[in-house]
Amino acid sequence: MRRFLVLLRKEVKELITPQILLPFVITIMMFAVIGQVVGAEGEEAAANRRLALLDRDRTEASSALRAAIEGAGFTIEEAADDDAGEAARALSASGGSILVVVPEGYGAALGDATPARIEVYSVIRTFSVMSGQDSAALSAALLQVEQTVAQEVMTEHAAAIDPAFIKDPLAVVDHVMVGDRQAQVSRDTVMAFISTQTMLVPIVLFVVVMFAAQMVAVAIATEKENKTLETLLAMPISRSAIVTAKMMAAGLVALVSAAAYMVGMNIYMKGLMEGFGETGTSTSAATAFADQLGLTLGVGDYAMLGLSMFAAILVALVISLILGAFAENVKAVQSLITPMIVLLMVPYFVSMFVDVNSLAPVARWTVLAIPFTHAFLAAPNLFLGNAHMVLLGAAYELAWFAVLVVVAGRIFSSDRLLTMRLNLAKLKKQR
Amino acid sequence: MADVLRVSGLSKHYGRLEAVRGIGFSVRAGEVFALIGPNGAGKTTTLRMVATILQPSAGAIELDGIDVVSDPASARARLSYLPEEAGAYKSMRGREYLRFMAEVFFDDRERQTESLASAAEISGLGDRLDDKIGTYSKGMARKLLLARAIMTRPKLAILDEPTSGLDVLGALDVRDTIKEFTRSGMAVLLSSHNMLEIEYLSDRVSVIHQGTIHATGTPAELKERFGADNLEEVFAEVAR
Ligand SMILES: Nc1ncnc2c1ncn2[C@@H]1O[C@H](COP(=O)(O)OP(=O)(O)OP(=O)(O)O)[C@@H](O)[C@H]1O
Ligand SMILES: [Mg+2]
Repeated sequence: MRRFLVLLRKEVKELITPQILLPFVITIMMFAVIGQVVGAEGEEAAANRRLALLDRDRTEASSALRAAIEGAGFTIEEAADDDAGEAARALSASGGSILVVVPEGYGAALGDATPARIEVYSVIRTFSVMSGQDSAALSAALLQVEQTVAQEVMTEHAAAIDPAFIKDPLAVVDHVMVGDRQAQVSRDTVMAFISTQTMLVPIVLFVVVMFAAQMVAVAIATEKENKTLETLLAMPISRSAIVTAKMMAAGLVALVSAAAYMVGMNIYMKGLMEGFGETGTSTSAATAFADQLGLTLGVGDYAMLGLSMFAAILVALVISLILGAFAENVKAVQSLITPMIVLLMVPYFVSMFVDVNSLAPVARWTVLAIPFTHAFLAAPNLFLGNAHMVLLGAAYELAWFAVLVVVAGRIFSSDRLLTMRLNLAKLKKQR
Repeated sequence: MADVLRVSGLSKHYGRLEAVRGIGFSVRAGEVFALIGPNGAGKTTTLRMVATILQPSAGAIELDGIDVVSDPASARARLSYLPEEAGAYKSMRGREYLRFMAEVFFDDRERQTESLASAAEISGLGDRLDDKIGTYSKGMARKLLLARAIMTRPKLAILDEPTSGLDVLGALDVRDTIKEFTRSGMAVLLSSHNMLEIEYLSDRVSVIHQGTIHATGTPAELKERFGADNLEEVFAEVAR
C-alpha cells in the first residue's frame, strides 16, 4: 500500500505538467471568454439596432408603424433613395442590414380593411446566430403592429365578433405526458428544458474520456520508449500496483478536469443566456412543469449518473492502458487509440441525434453492446425514470471493466508487455 | 566465495527466433561477471531474464537461493537492473528521482535516506541533482541511473552496457565505483562492447555468440586459450 501511494504520487505528478495544463486551462478560459463575449455582443447588438426606412405612404398609419419599430429599439435612418430597388442597393453597399419599404397606399388599404403591403429587404452577410437577431426583433415589432391594426379594424367593422376569436380562433392547449404524469406545457418547452439540462453531460463525458484515455496510453508508451518501464518492472513492486497507480492517477486527473470543464461550460452558458436576455425568466416556470412531470433528478439519480460515467471512464482507462502497452513509442499511441475513439464517437453521436431504441435490431444491439453507450444514455434514462436501465447499463460497463482488468493484468504480468509491439509501419510494409 | 547467481539451461524464444539457447554460468559474491559478444548475441535477453522482466522459455535461474522464475517478487528485492539505453522521468529532478526509487525499494525510512545519500555521492552530480533530468547530458543521466542501480546495495547488480555514452573520465569513474561496491560483497553481471573496460573490470567473462556461450574464464585464461594478445582478438575469434 505504501509503495502504491509512492507510485500514485509519482504518476499524478507526471501527468500534471504544464504541457497538459496549458491546453486545458486555455480551453476553459476560451469557453468562459466566448460566453462572455457572445453575451456582451448580444447585449450590444440589442442596444444598437438600426434599419433604413423608405416611407412612400406618409400617412398617419405609416407614422404609427415607424413609431412601433422605434419602440422595438431600432434607430431609424431614412432610406438613401426614393426608389425601393435603388434604396436596397444603397443599403447593401453602405453596410446596412435591413430596409423597410412602406409603399404608397399603405394607410389607405388599412382604412378600407384590405390587406396592406410592407416590403422588407435583409442583407445576409454571415450565417451566425447573432446576425438573425435584428430580423427577429423586426418581425416581432411588425406582428405587434398587425395585431393592433387588426384589433382596431375589427372593433370598427365587425363589432359583433369577439376580436380575440378572429385573432386566435383555435386555442390549442398543450399537455405533455411522461409515464403516468402529465402537465400543461408544450412539447417544445419540455424538450428545450431537458436538452439544456442534459446537454453538458455527453460533451463533458466525451472530452473527459478522451483526455483520460490519451493520458494513460501516452504514460505507458512513454515509459516503454524511455525504458523506465523496464526499470520499474525489475523493482520490488507488484504489477497490479503499477497498473492501478497509472489508471487511478489518470482517473483522478480526469475527474478534476471534468469538474473544471463543467464550471467552464456553465460560465459559457450563463454568458450566452445573459446575452439573449433569458436568465431567470423561465426558471421558475420551468421547474413547475418539471416537478409535475417528474423530470427532475434527486441525489440518488445524480449518484447513478456519476456511477455510470465513472464506469465509462474506468473502461476507457483499461482499454487505453492495453492499447498503450501495444505501442512501441508515443507516436504509435495516436493510431492505436483510434479504435477506442470510434467506440466513443458512435454512442456520442447516436445518443445526440436518434433514439437508440428506435434503431433496427442489429444496429440497436451493436450500439448497446458498446459499453460507453450506457453512460451517454444514463441522463435521459434518469429523467424518464428508467433507473433500472441505468443500473443495468452501469453493471454492464463494470463487467467490461472487470474482464479488461484481468486481460491487462495478464499482459502486465507476462513478458508480452516488453516483447509485443505493434509496429504499424512494419505491418504495412509486410503487406 | 559462494555463488550469488546460478543460471543453467537457460533459453528464450521470441516466436520462431531462439535468441538464447541453453546457456549456463554462475556469479560469485563480490565478483564482476561480464557477457561479451556481437550485436544480437543474446546478452540483453539473458540479463532481462535474470532481472525477472522476461520469462525464460526453459532453464533455471537461482539468485541467493531463490528461484527467480517461480518467485520473482523475492528476487526483485535482491537485485537491481540498469537497462541498456534506459532513460529516467524527464520532468523529475535528479534528487526527486532517486528519492522515488528509494521509497519504492525500502519500507524503512532510515534505509531510504541512507541510499539516497549514497546515490547522491555515487552520481557525482552535486548541485545538478536539483535540476530537471530533462536538462541532463547523456552521460549525466547514465550516472544518475547507475547511482540508482547500486544505491540499494543489491546482492546482484545487472548492468547492461553501463558505460555506453560516457566520456573517458566518466567511464573511469563508473568503473571505479563498480569495483568499490563489489568489495562490500555486491556481485555484478554486466555486458559491454568495450573490451578494455572488460579486461580492467571483470573477474570472469563469458563470450556469447548466437545465443550460445562459447567460452568462459578470467580474461587471462581466455587470452591464453585462444592464443590472443587481448580480449578483442578473443571476441573476433569466437564471432567468426
Ligand atoms: N522483443 C523482441 N522480439 C523479438 N526479437 C527480439 C526481441 N528482443 C530481442 N530480440 C532478438 O533476440 C536476439 C538477441 O537480442 P539481444 O537484444 O539479446 O542482443 P544483444 O546481445 O543484447 O545485442 P546488442 O549488443 O546489440 O545489445 C536478436 O536477434 C534480437 O533481434
Ligand atoms: Mg543488448
